[in-house]
Amino acid sequence: MLKIRRISKYFGKGTVNEVAAIRNLSLEVRPGEFVCVIGSNGAGKTTLLNCVSGTIIPDEGEVLLDGRDVTRWPEHERAALIGRVFQDPLSGTCASMSIEENLALANRRGKRRTLARGLKSAERALFAQILGKLDLGLEVRLGDPAGLLSGGQRQALTLVMATLQRPTLLLLDEHTAALDPKTAGLIMDLTLELVERDKLTTFMITHNMQQALNYGDRLVMIHNGEIILDLGRTEKERLTVGDLLDHFNESKNGLGGVLNDRLVLG
Amino acid sequence: MSLYAFQGAVSLGLGYGLMVLGVYITFRVLDFPDLTVDGSLPLGGAVSSVLISRGLDPFLSLLPAFLAGFLAGTVTGFLSARLKILNLLASIITMTALYSVNIRVMGGPNVSLINEPTVFLPLRGLGLSPMLSSNLVFLGFILVIASLLIWLMKTEYGQALIATGDNPKMITSLGVNTSFTVVTGVGLSNALVALSGALIAQNQGSADVGSGIGTIVAGLASIVIGETLFPSRRVSAAIVAVVLGSFLYRLVIALALNVRFKGFSLTASDLQLITAALVVAALILPRLKRGFGEKK
Repeated sequence: MLKIRRISKYFGKGTVNEVAAIRNLSLEVRPGEFVCVIGSNGAGKTTLLNCVSGTIIPDEGEVLLDGRDVTRWPEHERAALIGRVFQDPLSGTCASMSIEENLALANRRGKRRTLARGLKSAERALFAQILGKLDLGLEVRLGDPAGLLSGGQRQALTLVMATLQRPTLLLLDEHTAALDPKTAGLIMDLTLELVERDKLTTFMITHNMQQALNYGDRLVMIHNGEIILDLGRTEKERLTVGDLLDHFNESKNGLGGVLNDRLVLG
Repeated sequence: MSLYAFQGAVSLGLGYGLMVLGVYITFRVLDFPDLTVDGSLPLGGAVSSVLISRGLDPFLSLLPAFLAGFLAGTVTGFLSARLKILNLLASIITMTALYSVNIRVMGGPNVSLINEPTVFLPLRGLGLSPMLSSNLVFLGFILVIASLLIWLMKTEYGQALIATGDNPKMITSLGVNTSFTVVTGVGLSNALVALSGALIAQNQGSADVGSGIGTIVAGLASIVIGETLFPSRRVSAAIVAVVLGSFLYRLVIALALNVRFKGFSLTASDLQLITAALVVAALILPRLKRGFGEKK
Protein backbone atom coordinates (compact mmCIF):
# COMPACT_ATOMS: atom_id res chain seq x y z
CA MET A 1 0.00 0.00 0.00
CA LEU A 2 2.40 2.66 1.26
CA LYS A 3 6.07 1.89 0.79
CA ILE A 4 8.71 4.29 2.01
CA ARG A 5 12.14 3.27 0.74
CA ARG A 6 15.27 4.67 2.33
CA ILE A 7 14.18 8.31 2.29
CA SER A 8 16.30 11.14 3.67
CA LYS A 9 15.51 14.81 3.99
CA TYR A 10 18.04 17.46 4.96
CA PHE A 11 17.33 21.04 5.89
CA GLY A 12 19.94 23.71 5.27
CA LYS A 13 21.80 21.28 3.04
CA GLY A 14 25.37 22.30 2.25
CA THR A 15 25.54 24.80 5.11
CA VAL A 16 27.11 24.44 8.55
CA ASN A 17 23.60 24.17 9.93
CA GLU A 18 22.74 21.08 7.89
CA VAL A 19 20.21 18.93 9.77
CA ALA A 20 18.93 15.55 8.70
CA ALA A 21 15.23 15.61 9.57
CA ILE A 22 14.88 12.04 8.33
CA ARG A 23 17.72 9.72 7.48
CA ASN A 24 17.55 6.55 5.46
CA LEU A 25 14.10 5.72 6.73
CA SER A 26 12.15 2.76 5.36
CA LEU A 27 8.62 1.78 6.31
CA GLU A 28 5.96 -0.38 4.73
CA VAL A 29 2.29 -0.05 5.56
CA ARG A 30 0.06 -2.95 4.55
CA PRO A 31 -3.44 -2.45 3.12
CA GLY A 32 -5.98 -1.83 5.86
CA GLU A 33 -3.33 -1.25 8.50
CA PHE A 34 -3.67 1.59 11.04
CA VAL A 35 -0.18 2.83 11.92
CA CYS A 36 0.50 5.29 14.73
CA VAL A 37 3.75 7.21 14.39
CA ILE A 38 5.03 8.69 17.60
CA GLY A 39 7.96 10.93 18.41
CA SER A 40 8.88 14.10 20.26
CA ASN A 41 9.08 17.56 18.70
CA GLY A 42 11.80 17.61 16.06
CA ALA A 43 11.94 13.81 15.78
CA GLY A 44 11.07 14.02 12.09
CA LYS A 45 7.51 12.74 12.16
CA THR A 46 6.03 15.79 10.45
CA THR A 47 8.78 15.72 7.81
CA LEU A 48 7.95 12.06 7.23
CA LEU A 49 4.26 12.87 6.84
CA ASN A 50 5.03 15.77 4.50
CA CYS A 51 7.14 13.46 2.32
CA VAL A 52 4.14 11.13 2.05
CA SER A 53 1.64 13.93 1.34
CA GLY A 54 3.90 15.66 -1.20
CA THR A 55 4.24 18.92 0.72
CA ILE A 56 8.00 18.32 0.60
CA ILE A 57 10.05 16.07 -1.66
CA PRO A 58 12.72 13.89 -0.01
CA ASP A 59 16.36 14.40 -1.04
CA GLU A 60 16.89 10.65 -1.35
CA GLY A 61 14.71 7.58 -1.57
CA GLU A 62 11.26 6.79 -2.90
CA VAL A 63 7.66 6.91 -1.77
CA LEU A 64 5.33 4.36 -3.34
CA LEU A 65 1.56 4.49 -3.01
CA ASP A 66 -0.59 1.69 -4.33
CA GLY A 67 2.39 0.44 -6.35
CA ARG A 68 3.02 3.81 -8.00
CA ASP A 69 6.17 5.83 -7.43
CA VAL A 70 4.75 9.16 -6.24
CA THR A 71 8.03 10.60 -4.92
CA ARG A 72 7.96 13.55 -7.34
CA TRP A 73 4.21 13.97 -7.75
CA PRO A 74 3.12 17.47 -6.73
CA GLU A 75 0.88 17.66 -3.69
CA HIS A 76 -2.35 18.39 -5.59
CA GLU A 77 -1.88 15.30 -7.80
CA ARG A 78 -1.13 13.03 -4.88
CA ALA A 79 -4.31 14.31 -3.26
CA ALA A 80 -6.21 11.93 -5.56
CA LEU A 81 -4.92 9.07 -3.37
CA ILE A 82 -4.68 10.75 0.02
CA GLY A 83 -7.26 12.02 2.49
CA ARG A 84 -5.77 14.42 5.01
CA VAL A 85 -6.62 15.94 8.37
CA PHE A 86 -4.37 18.68 9.73
CA GLN A 87 -3.40 19.54 13.28
CA ASP A 88 -4.99 22.98 13.13
CA PRO A 89 -8.81 22.56 12.99
CA LEU A 90 -8.99 25.77 10.89
CA SER A 91 -6.73 24.31 8.17
CA GLY A 92 -9.07 21.63 6.90
CA THR A 93 -12.11 23.67 5.90
CA CYS A 94 -12.96 26.96 4.18
CA ALA A 95 -14.43 29.27 6.82
CA SER A 96 -16.33 31.47 4.38
CA MET A 97 -17.96 28.55 2.55
CA SER A 98 -20.92 26.57 3.79
CA ILE A 99 -20.64 23.06 5.23
CA GLU A 100 -22.21 21.59 2.10
CA GLU A 101 -19.90 23.59 -0.18
CA ASN A 102 -16.90 22.30 1.78
CA LEU A 103 -18.19 18.75 1.44
CA ALA A 104 -18.78 19.27 -2.28
CA LEU A 105 -15.16 20.44 -2.68
CA ALA A 106 -14.03 17.26 -0.90
CA ASN A 107 -16.38 15.12 -2.99
CA ARG A 108 -14.32 16.19 -6.02
CA ARG A 109 -10.94 15.34 -4.52
CA GLY A 110 -8.62 14.20 -7.28
CA LYS A 111 -11.09 15.05 -10.04
CA ARG A 112 -10.91 17.74 -12.68
CA ARG A 113 -12.78 20.91 -11.74
CA THR A 114 -15.07 21.70 -14.65
CA LEU A 115 -17.80 24.22 -15.31
CA ALA A 116 -20.41 21.79 -14.02
CA ARG A 117 -22.31 22.81 -10.90
CA GLY A 118 -20.08 22.88 -7.83
CA LEU A 119 -22.84 21.49 -5.59
CA LYS A 120 -25.57 19.26 -6.98
CA SER A 121 -28.89 18.69 -5.20
CA ALA A 122 -28.27 14.92 -5.14
CA GLU A 123 -25.06 15.64 -3.23
CA ARG A 124 -26.97 17.65 -0.65
CA ALA A 125 -29.13 14.63 0.14
CA LEU A 126 -26.05 12.39 0.28
CA PHE A 127 -24.22 14.73 2.67
CA ALA A 128 -27.25 15.00 4.96
CA GLN A 129 -27.47 11.20 5.03
CA ILE A 130 -23.76 10.69 5.79
CA LEU A 131 -23.69 13.38 8.48
CA GLY A 132 -26.95 12.08 9.96
CA LYS A 133 -25.44 8.66 10.54
CA LEU A 134 -22.50 10.18 12.42
CA ASP A 135 -24.70 11.95 14.94
CA LEU A 136 -22.74 15.22 14.88
CA GLY A 137 -25.78 17.46 14.56
CA LEU A 138 -24.28 18.93 11.39
CA GLU A 139 -26.86 17.50 8.97
CA VAL A 140 -29.32 20.27 9.82
CA ARG A 141 -26.67 22.98 9.38
CA LEU A 142 -25.54 22.21 5.83
CA GLY A 143 -26.02 25.81 4.71
CA ASP A 144 -24.09 27.37 7.60
CA PRO A 145 -20.59 28.69 6.96
CA ALA A 146 -17.93 26.33 8.32
CA GLY A 147 -16.43 29.31 10.16
CA LEU A 148 -19.34 29.20 12.62
CA LEU A 149 -18.40 25.70 13.82
CA SER A 150 -16.29 25.00 16.89
CA GLY A 151 -12.78 23.59 16.53
CA GLY A 152 -14.01 20.08 17.31
CA GLN A 153 -16.88 20.32 14.84
CA ARG A 154 -14.56 21.62 12.14
CA GLN A 155 -12.17 18.75 12.76
CA ALA A 156 -15.08 16.28 12.57
CA LEU A 157 -16.15 17.88 9.29
CA THR A 158 -12.58 17.64 7.97
CA LEU A 159 -12.54 13.93 8.83
CA VAL A 160 -15.80 13.38 6.97
CA MET A 161 -14.39 15.37 4.03
CA ALA A 162 -11.14 13.38 3.99
CA THR A 163 -13.06 10.09 3.77
CA LEU A 164 -15.91 11.23 1.50
CA GLN A 165 -14.09 9.88 -1.54
CA ARG A 166 -12.51 6.71 -0.17
CA PRO A 167 -8.79 7.57 0.09
CA THR A 168 -6.07 5.00 -0.66
CA LEU A 169 -4.34 6.39 2.40
CA LEU A 170 -5.72 8.45 5.28
CA LEU A 171 -3.12 10.83 6.74
CA LEU A 172 -3.77 12.20 10.21
CA ASP A 173 -1.32 14.87 11.34
CA GLU A 174 -1.73 15.14 15.15
CA HIS A 175 -5.34 15.87 14.36
CA THR A 176 -6.50 15.93 17.98
CA ALA A 177 -3.52 17.82 19.43
CA ALA A 178 -5.24 21.22 19.34
CA LEU A 179 -8.45 20.00 21.00
CA ASP A 180 -9.47 19.65 24.64
CA PRO A 181 -9.27 16.05 26.00
CA LYS A 182 -13.02 15.37 25.77
CA THR A 183 -13.31 16.65 22.19
CA ALA A 184 -10.09 14.83 21.28
CA GLY A 185 -11.71 11.60 22.52
CA LEU A 186 -14.83 12.22 20.42
CA ILE A 187 -12.72 12.93 17.33
CA MET A 188 -10.72 9.71 17.89
CA ASP A 189 -13.99 7.75 18.18
CA LEU A 190 -15.19 9.29 14.93
CA THR A 191 -11.82 8.50 13.33
CA LEU A 192 -12.12 4.83 14.29
CA GLU A 193 -15.72 4.70 13.10
CA LEU A 194 -14.80 6.07 9.66
CA VAL A 195 -11.62 3.96 9.38
CA GLU A 196 -13.56 0.78 10.20
CA ARG A 197 -16.52 1.71 8.00
CA ASP A 198 -14.33 2.00 4.91
CA LYS A 199 -11.46 -0.35 5.95
CA LEU A 200 -9.04 2.52 5.45
CA THR A 201 -5.27 2.31 5.47
CA THR A 202 -4.35 4.92 8.04
CA PHE A 203 -1.16 6.73 8.94
CA MET A 204 -1.54 8.75 12.12
CA ILE A 205 1.04 11.00 13.67
CA THR A 206 0.77 11.83 17.33
CA HIS A 207 2.87 12.86 20.27
CA ASN A 208 0.36 11.44 22.70
CA MET A 209 1.71 8.05 23.87
CA GLN A 210 -1.56 6.89 25.37
CA GLN A 211 -3.32 7.57 22.09
CA ALA A 212 -0.65 5.62 20.19
CA LEU A 213 -1.11 2.66 22.56
CA ASN A 214 -4.90 2.75 22.48
CA TYR A 215 -5.47 3.10 18.78
CA GLY A 216 -4.26 1.35 15.67
CA ASP A 217 -2.64 -1.97 14.76
CA ARG A 218 0.93 -0.85 14.89
CA LEU A 219 3.15 1.61 16.71
CA VAL A 220 6.23 3.19 15.17
CA MET A 221 8.50 5.40 17.26
CA ILE A 222 10.75 7.89 15.52
CA HIS A 223 13.72 9.66 17.00
CA ASN A 224 16.30 11.84 15.27
CA GLY A 225 14.85 10.92 11.89
CA GLU A 226 15.11 7.18 12.40
CA ILE A 227 12.72 4.44 13.46
CA ILE A 228 13.73 3.24 16.91
CA LEU A 229 10.74 1.04 17.66
CA ASP A 230 8.20 -0.81 15.50
CA LEU A 231 5.58 -2.86 17.35
CA GLY A 232 2.65 -4.93 16.15
CA ARG A 233 -0.75 -5.08 17.82
CA THR A 234 0.01 -7.89 20.30
CA GLU A 235 3.32 -6.41 21.47
CA LYS A 236 1.75 -2.99 21.74
CA GLU A 237 -1.12 -4.25 23.89
CA ARG A 238 1.27 -5.40 26.58
CA LEU A 239 2.91 -1.98 26.88
CA THR A 240 2.17 0.97 29.12
CA VAL A 241 3.11 4.60 28.67
CA GLY A 242 5.84 4.03 31.27
CA ASP A 243 7.39 1.23 29.20
CA LEU A 244 7.35 3.44 26.14
CA LEU A 245 9.04 6.27 27.98
CA ASP A 246 11.69 3.91 29.35
CA HIS A 247 12.37 2.64 25.90
CA PHE A 248 12.48 6.14 24.56
CA ASN A 249 14.99 7.29 27.17
CA GLU A 250 17.14 4.21 26.70
CA SER A 251 17.47 4.73 23.00
CA LYS A 252 18.43 8.34 23.34
CA ASN A 253 20.82 8.01 26.27
CA GLY A 254 23.60 10.53 26.14
CA LEU A 255 21.69 12.74 23.74
CA GLY A 256 20.36 15.06 26.42
CA GLY A 257 16.99 16.74 26.63
CA VAL A 258 15.41 13.78 28.42
CA LEU A 259 13.51 15.93 30.84
CA ASN A 260 12.08 18.05 28.08
CA ASP A 261 10.86 15.05 26.17
CA ARG A 262 9.30 13.56 29.26
CA LEU A 263 7.29 16.73 29.55
CA VAL A 264 6.39 16.79 25.89
CA LEU A 265 5.40 13.16 25.67
CA GLY A 266 3.76 12.66 29.05
CA MET B 1 -25.72 68.73 -7.47
CA SER B 2 -27.00 69.29 -10.96
CA LEU B 3 -28.92 66.64 -12.85
CA TYR B 4 -26.12 66.63 -15.36
CA ALA B 5 -23.55 65.78 -12.70
CA PHE B 6 -25.83 63.05 -11.34
CA GLN B 7 -26.26 61.52 -14.78
CA GLY B 8 -22.51 61.69 -15.24
CA ALA B 9 -22.01 59.79 -11.99
CA VAL B 10 -24.47 57.11 -13.05
CA SER B 11 -22.75 56.79 -16.39
CA LEU B 12 -19.29 56.47 -14.84
CA GLY B 13 -20.61 54.02 -12.24
CA LEU B 14 -21.93 51.83 -15.03
CA GLY B 15 -18.84 52.22 -17.20
CA TYR B 16 -16.47 51.25 -14.43
CA GLY B 17 -18.84 48.58 -13.10
CA LEU B 18 -17.12 45.84 -15.09
CA MET B 19 -13.76 47.00 -13.74
CA VAL B 20 -15.15 46.72 -10.20
CA LEU B 21 -16.33 43.15 -10.92
CA GLY B 22 -12.81 42.35 -12.12
CA VAL B 23 -11.20 43.80 -9.01
CA TYR B 24 -13.74 41.88 -6.90
CA ILE B 25 -12.40 38.57 -8.30
CA THR B 26 -8.84 39.29 -7.21
CA PHE B 27 -9.34 41.37 -4.09
CA ARG B 28 -12.23 39.48 -2.49
CA VAL B 29 -12.39 36.02 -4.09
CA LEU B 30 -8.68 35.28 -4.47
CA ASP B 31 -7.45 37.56 -1.66
CA PHE B 32 -4.88 38.87 -4.15
CA PRO B 33 -4.25 42.66 -4.09
CA ASP B 34 -3.75 43.21 -7.81
CA LEU B 35 -2.40 46.51 -9.14
CA THR B 36 -2.15 45.10 -12.67
CA VAL B 37 -5.55 46.72 -13.28
CA ASP B 38 -3.97 50.20 -13.44
CA GLY B 39 -2.27 48.92 -16.60
CA SER B 40 -4.89 46.56 -17.97
CA LEU B 41 -7.65 49.19 -18.04
CA PRO B 42 -5.76 51.40 -20.55
CA LEU B 43 -4.54 48.21 -22.27
CA GLY B 44 -8.13 47.26 -23.09
CA GLY B 45 -8.82 50.80 -24.34
CA ALA B 46 -5.62 50.80 -26.41
CA VAL B 47 -6.21 47.43 -28.08
CA SER B 48 -9.84 48.16 -28.87
CA SER B 49 -9.20 51.71 -30.14
CA VAL B 50 -6.26 50.77 -32.33
CA LEU B 51 -8.20 47.91 -33.90
CA ILE B 52 -11.24 50.13 -34.53
CA SER B 53 -9.06 52.79 -36.15
CA ARG B 54 -7.67 50.02 -38.38
CA GLY B 55 -11.21 49.21 -39.47
CA LEU B 56 -12.25 46.35 -37.15
CA ASP B 57 -15.87 46.22 -36.00
CA PRO B 58 -16.14 47.91 -32.55
CA PHE B 59 -17.97 44.91 -31.05
CA LEU B 60 -15.36 42.49 -32.38
CA SER B 61 -12.57 44.72 -31.04
CA LEU B 62 -13.78 43.93 -27.51
CA LEU B 63 -12.65 40.31 -27.80
CA PRO B 64 -8.94 41.07 -28.42
CA ALA B 65 -9.14 43.70 -25.65
CA PHE B 66 -10.58 41.06 -23.28
CA LEU B 67 -7.87 38.56 -24.27
CA ALA B 68 -5.10 41.16 -23.89
CA GLY B 69 -6.31 41.86 -20.36
CA PHE B 70 -6.44 38.12 -19.62
CA LEU B 71 -2.87 37.74 -20.83
CA ALA B 72 -1.68 40.67 -18.66
CA GLY B 73 -3.37 39.05 -15.65
CA THR B 74 -1.81 35.66 -16.31
CA VAL B 75 1.63 37.33 -16.34
CA THR B 76 0.98 38.66 -12.82
CA GLY B 77 -0.48 35.31 -11.76
CA PHE B 78 2.53 33.46 -13.14
CA LEU B 79 5.03 35.81 -11.43
CA SER B 80 3.23 35.25 -8.15
CA ALA B 81 2.10 31.61 -8.23
CA ARG B 82 4.98 30.00 -10.10
CA LEU B 83 7.94 32.34 -9.60
CA LYS B 84 6.88 33.02 -5.99
CA ILE B 85 7.17 36.80 -6.23
CA LEU B 86 5.06 38.52 -3.55
CA ASN B 87 1.60 39.04 -5.11
CA LEU B 88 1.41 42.81 -4.64
CA LEU B 89 4.92 43.23 -6.03
CA ALA B 90 4.20 40.91 -8.97
CA SER B 91 1.24 43.08 -9.93
CA ILE B 92 3.28 46.30 -9.64
CA ILE B 93 5.89 44.78 -11.97
CA THR B 94 3.26 43.92 -14.60
CA MET B 95 1.57 47.30 -14.21
CA THR B 96 4.89 49.09 -14.79
CA ALA B 97 5.65 46.97 -17.85
CA LEU B 98 2.16 47.61 -19.24
CA TYR B 99 2.83 51.35 -19.37
CA SER B 100 5.42 50.73 -22.08
CA VAL B 101 3.31 48.03 -23.71
CA ASN B 102 0.31 50.36 -23.95
CA ILE B 103 2.36 53.08 -25.67
CA ARG B 104 3.72 50.44 -28.08
CA VAL B 105 0.22 49.21 -28.85
CA MET B 106 -1.04 52.74 -29.56
CA GLY B 107 2.15 53.94 -31.21
CA GLY B 108 1.97 56.94 -28.87
CA PRO B 109 0.45 58.02 -25.55
CA ASN B 110 -3.10 58.14 -26.95
CA VAL B 111 -5.38 57.22 -29.84
CA SER B 112 -8.40 59.21 -30.96
CA LEU B 113 -11.64 57.56 -32.01
CA ILE B 114 -13.27 60.69 -33.37
CA ASN B 115 -15.42 59.85 -36.38
CA GLU B 116 -14.85 56.15 -35.80
CA PRO B 117 -17.73 53.74 -35.14
CA THR B 118 -18.24 52.54 -31.56
CA VAL B 119 -20.49 50.02 -29.82
CA PHE B 120 -22.68 52.97 -28.78
CA LEU B 121 -23.39 54.07 -32.34
CA PRO B 122 -26.31 51.71 -33.15
CA LEU B 123 -28.42 53.05 -30.24
CA ARG B 124 -27.55 56.66 -31.03
CA GLY B 125 -28.63 55.91 -34.57
CA LEU B 126 -32.07 55.05 -33.17
CA GLY B 127 -32.37 58.63 -31.97
CA LEU B 128 -31.48 58.06 -28.29
CA SER B 129 -29.38 60.70 -26.56
CA PRO B 130 -25.63 59.93 -26.33
CA MET B 131 -25.84 59.67 -22.53
CA LEU B 132 -28.81 57.31 -22.57
CA SER B 133 -27.37 55.09 -25.27
CA SER B 134 -24.06 54.88 -23.39
CA ASN B 135 -25.84 53.96 -20.17
CA LEU B 136 -27.96 51.32 -21.85
CA VAL B 137 -24.95 49.67 -23.49
CA PHE B 138 -22.96 49.73 -20.24
CA LEU B 139 -25.95 48.35 -18.35
CA GLY B 140 -26.37 45.54 -20.88
CA PHE B 141 -22.74 44.51 -20.50
CA ILE B 142 -22.92 44.64 -16.71
CA LEU B 143 -26.07 42.50 -16.59
CA VAL B 144 -24.56 39.87 -18.87
CA ILE B 145 -21.12 39.79 -17.20
CA ALA B 146 -22.48 39.87 -13.63
CA SER B 147 -24.86 37.00 -14.45
CA LEU B 148 -22.03 34.99 -15.98
CA LEU B 149 -19.86 35.69 -12.95
CA ILE B 150 -22.57 34.58 -10.52
CA TRP B 151 -22.98 31.39 -12.56
CA LEU B 152 -19.20 30.85 -12.70
CA MET B 153 -18.80 31.15 -8.94
CA LYS B 154 -21.24 28.26 -8.47
CA THR B 155 -19.37 25.93 -10.82
CA GLU B 156 -16.72 23.45 -9.67
CA TYR B 157 -14.06 25.83 -11.01
CA GLY B 158 -15.60 28.84 -9.26
CA GLN B 159 -15.85 27.00 -5.95
CA ALA B 160 -12.19 25.99 -6.28
CA LEU B 161 -11.37 29.67 -6.98
CA ILE B 162 -13.17 30.78 -3.82
CA ALA B 163 -11.44 28.05 -1.80
CA THR B 164 -8.05 29.11 -3.20
CA GLY B 165 -8.58 32.57 -1.74
CA ASP B 166 -9.97 31.23 1.53
CA ASN B 167 -7.68 28.29 2.34
CA PRO B 168 -5.03 27.33 -0.25
CA LYS B 169 -3.58 24.61 1.99
CA MET B 170 -6.93 22.85 2.26
CA ILE B 171 -7.86 23.08 -1.41
CA THR B 172 -4.41 21.76 -2.43
CA SER B 173 -5.01 18.74 -0.19
CA LEU B 174 -8.28 18.25 -2.09
CA GLY B 175 -6.47 18.04 -5.41
CA VAL B 176 -6.68 21.58 -6.81
CA ASN B 177 -3.60 23.09 -8.39
CA THR B 178 -3.68 26.57 -6.84
CA SER B 179 -1.17 27.89 -9.38
CA PHE B 180 -3.78 27.22 -12.05
CA THR B 181 -6.64 28.85 -10.15
CA VAL B 182 -4.53 31.92 -9.30
CA VAL B 183 -3.20 32.39 -12.85
CA THR B 184 -6.61 31.97 -14.50
CA GLY B 185 -8.43 33.94 -11.78
CA VAL B 186 -6.12 36.95 -12.03
CA GLY B 187 -6.33 36.58 -15.83
CA LEU B 188 -10.12 36.65 -15.76
CA SER B 189 -10.12 39.65 -13.44
CA ASN B 190 -7.89 41.66 -15.76
CA ALA B 191 -9.86 40.53 -18.80
CA LEU B 192 -12.96 42.18 -17.28
CA VAL B 193 -10.96 45.30 -16.39
CA ALA B 194 -9.63 45.53 -19.98
CA LEU B 195 -13.15 45.05 -21.33
CA SER B 196 -14.26 47.90 -19.08
CA GLY B 197 -11.34 50.00 -20.38
CA ALA B 198 -12.29 49.26 -23.99
CA LEU B 199 -15.91 50.35 -23.46
CA ILE B 200 -14.85 53.50 -21.59
CA ALA B 201 -12.37 54.45 -24.34
CA GLN B 202 -15.05 53.97 -27.00
CA ASN B 203 -17.47 56.06 -24.96
CA GLN B 204 -14.94 58.86 -24.45
CA GLY B 205 -13.75 58.77 -28.04
CA SER B 206 -10.12 58.20 -27.13
CA ALA B 207 -7.74 55.85 -25.38
CA ASP B 208 -5.05 57.30 -23.15
CA VAL B 209 -2.07 55.68 -21.45
CA GLY B 210 -2.68 57.70 -18.29
CA SER B 211 -6.32 56.70 -17.92
CA GLY B 212 -5.51 53.75 -15.66
CA ILE B 213 -4.01 55.70 -12.77
CA GLY B 214 -6.00 55.07 -9.61
CA THR B 215 -8.07 52.22 -11.08
CA ILE B 216 -7.29 49.85 -8.22
CA VAL B 217 -8.16 52.41 -5.57
CA ALA B 218 -11.43 53.31 -7.30
CA GLY B 219 -12.19 49.58 -7.56
CA LEU B 220 -11.44 48.98 -3.89
CA ALA B 221 -13.50 52.01 -2.86
CA SER B 222 -16.49 50.71 -4.85
CA ILE B 223 -16.17 47.22 -3.38
CA VAL B 224 -15.84 48.37 0.19
CA ILE B 225 -18.70 50.88 -0.11
CA GLY B 226 -20.93 48.23 -1.69
CA GLU B 227 -20.10 45.58 0.88
CA THR B 228 -20.47 47.94 3.82
CA LEU B 229 -23.90 49.17 2.75
CA PHE B 230 -25.21 45.85 1.47
CA PRO B 231 -23.47 43.18 3.53
CA SER B 232 -24.08 39.59 2.49
CA ARG B 233 -22.30 36.30 2.82
CA ARG B 234 -23.58 35.04 -0.51
CA VAL B 235 -21.30 35.56 -3.48
CA SER B 236 -24.19 36.39 -5.83
CA ALA B 237 -25.47 39.14 -3.52
CA ALA B 238 -21.93 40.46 -3.03
CA ILE B 239 -21.52 40.77 -6.81
CA VAL B 240 -24.67 42.88 -7.02
CA ALA B 241 -23.52 44.90 -3.99
CA VAL B 242 -20.16 45.84 -5.51
CA VAL B 243 -21.82 47.01 -8.75
CA LEU B 244 -24.07 49.24 -6.63
CA GLY B 245 -20.92 50.32 -4.80
CA SER B 246 -19.50 51.47 -8.14
CA PHE B 247 -22.46 53.87 -8.56
CA LEU B 248 -22.30 55.17 -5.03
CA TYR B 249 -18.59 55.76 -5.28
CA ARG B 250 -19.00 57.91 -8.41
CA LEU B 251 -21.87 59.71 -6.72
CA VAL B 252 -19.77 60.54 -3.66
CA ILE B 253 -16.99 61.79 -5.93
CA ALA B 254 -19.45 63.97 -7.87
CA LEU B 255 -20.79 65.38 -4.61
CA ALA B 256 -17.30 66.10 -3.34
CA LEU B 257 -16.40 67.91 -6.55
CA ASN B 258 -19.46 70.09 -6.02
CA VAL B 259 -18.33 71.35 -2.63
CA ARG B 260 -17.92 75.13 -2.54
CA PHE B 261 -16.61 76.74 0.61
CA LYS B 262 -15.76 80.45 0.67
CA GLY B 263 -14.17 80.48 -2.73
CA PHE B 264 -12.51 77.10 -2.23
CA SER B 265 -13.62 74.25 -4.38
CA LEU B 266 -12.29 70.82 -5.24
CA THR B 267 -11.22 70.17 -8.81
CA ALA B 268 -11.01 67.06 -10.95
CA SER B 269 -7.32 66.73 -10.13
CA ASP B 270 -8.23 66.29 -6.45
CA LEU B 271 -10.09 63.10 -7.39
CA GLN B 272 -7.32 60.70 -6.39
CA LEU B 273 -6.97 62.35 -3.00
CA ILE B 274 -10.71 62.14 -2.38
CA THR B 275 -10.70 58.50 -3.47
CA ALA B 276 -7.81 57.64 -1.17
CA ALA B 277 -9.57 59.32 1.76
CA LEU B 278 -12.78 57.52 0.85
CA VAL B 279 -11.09 54.11 0.77
CA VAL B 280 -9.57 54.70 4.19
CA ALA B 281 -12.95 55.76 5.55
CA ALA B 282 -14.70 52.77 4.01
CA LEU B 283 -12.05 50.33 5.20
CA ILE B 284 -12.18 51.47 8.80
CA LEU B 285 -15.96 51.79 8.87
CA PRO B 286 -16.63 48.09 9.63
CA ARG B 287 -14.10 48.29 12.46
CA LEU B 288 -15.73 51.45 13.83
CA LYS B 289 -19.04 49.59 13.89
CA ARG B 290 -17.53 46.87 16.06
CA GLY B 291 -15.99 49.45 18.33
CA PHE B 292 -12.41 50.49 18.78
CA GLY B 293 -9.81 48.46 20.64
CA GLU B 294 -11.52 45.21 19.79
CA LYS B 295 -9.39 42.89 17.74
CA LYS B 296 -10.76 41.40 14.55
